Amino acid sequence: MTNENALSVQTERSEKAVIVCPVGRVDGSNVGVLESAIRELLDAGQKTLIFDFEELNYISSAGLRVLLVTARRTQAEGGNALFCGLAEHIAHVFEISGFTNILTICQSRSEALAAL
Amino acid sequence: MTTSPVRLLVVDDEEDLELLIRQKFRRRIRKGEFDFVFARNGQEALEKLAENPDIHLVLSDINMPVMDGLALLSKLEDTNPDVQAVIVSAYGDMENIRTAMNRGAFDFVTKPINFDDLEITIEKTLNHIRALETAQEARDRLVVLKRELDVAQQVQMSALPKEIPSSETHDVQALMIPAREVGGDFYDFFPLSDELIGLVIADVSGKGIPAALFTLMTRTLLKGTARDSPSPADCLSRVNDLLAEDNETCIFITLFYGVFDLRDGVFRYSNGGHNPPRLLRSDSRIEEIPPTGNLVLGIAPGHEYRNGEVRLAPGDTLFLYTDGITEAQNTNDEEFGEERLDTKLASLGQVSARDIVTTVVDEVRAFAGDAPQSDDITCIAMRFADLLSSSAVDGT
Repeated sequence: MTNENALSVQTERSEKAVIVCPVGRVDGSNVGVLESAIRELLDAGQKTLIFDFEELNYISSAGLRVLLVTARRTQAEGGNALFCGLAEHIAHVFEISGFTNILTICQSRSEALAAL
Repeated sequence: MTTSPVRLLVVDDEEDLELLIRQKFRRRIRKGEFDFVFARNGQEALEKLAENPDIHLVLSDINMPVMDGLALLSKLEDTNPDVQAVIVSAYGDMENIRTAMNRGAFDFVTKPINFDDLEITIEKTLNHIRALETAQEARDRLVVLKRELDVAQQVQMSALPKEIPSSETHDVQALMIPAREVGGDFYDFFPLSDELIGLVIADVSGKGIPAALFTLMTRTLLKGTARDSPSPADCLSRVNDLLAEDNETCIFITLFYGVFDLRDGVFRYSNGGHNPPRLLRSDSRIEEIPPTGNLVLGIAPGHEYRNGEVRLAPGDTLFLYTDGITEAQNTNDEEFGEERLDTKLASLGQVSARDIVTTVVDEVRAFAGDAPQSDDITCIAMRFADLLSSSAVDGT
């Protein structure tokens, strides 16, 4: 129970992209963890990121802002950011905010990889 | 770099020590790095400290007449808590050294004094003092910042509309319980004319000063554009374009804005990525205000917002809220959720706008229990009592 509110960010490398898997919840208190993990990847020259939200329980608006910044930066650098594995309630947040119209959402990781 | 010398107080009843210190540290005294003040016992030491408030380091012997070193340490804890003491003791006198350390001495040196070691001890103590001062300054700055944040929160709260008197046609009530940090939500309601009422609810991403600034900016822009155009979609498109200009940080705001027409009960609205408000029918049915398929404001310049429309009959109520309500968590990390919200709204029956907002917020807080509130909780209810024309006829 003590780790319920914690966030860890796991990354996996594939041929075409780095897959970023936030585990836990992203809110105002820990969004910096996600932000710096992403920045590290992009600063190292990674252009395309796939966010797999399979293990993500919750994301606040502060977290969504970081995703927007990331999508914008990857596109500016000739890459992209794709999002997959959204649980129903997270897909709902994306839907309401209209992010489904401006971010690339895929059903699964394999679909995201195929889309590259 | 010219800095004033560090002033140190040496307390010892043997006059030889003064000569020795002046001799051993003569270079550093000449360079203006150290300046020594001397006292013969604890009592005199306290007087010197009172005269020289810039002294933060005391080097003291233990055995002295009038007031000994251990008594001096006890006094210092009360009168000069920011002074650090280094004790000089006889070699192997562990009992006195232990007592001195327990009374707050920072370190000790033993007799006969090894002056190289003393110099190292002094430097180490001075570093400790500087670290304490830096920490104190950081704390002071935090206190100032905290005070400014409190003021920011007051500014933000005072920017919210005050109560408007209920009329025969409608009554409006909003309730906002801000989370600890300045942030996030805002609401507004304003008459656009005798017949039209504007209703706004919004939630900015993140918290703190950037969020508060973005909120105030949005509120001002929207209020300005609302006077120029009766179409909520037009207003949102224009505000969005202004907010999205040079918004590299991608701060965004979810915003719902609608205009209610008291003449025919029509509510025209546009929804910029905000949780869909609810329409409570007079027979207790709950409807979701259909989305207009639009994006949050601030990130996509040129995005075209669309209008939606619903019609209210007398006895119907609009309920606007932020996710601070539906995402409120209890101690088991469960969310309040839309289902509980709708169930509560459906159970209310015909009550005033004030009763609606207070009952819902009470329910959310009871649900959350002891779990900390992480987000602003905000809602507005507007109850439509009667059409303007018929009430005007009735009233005359």
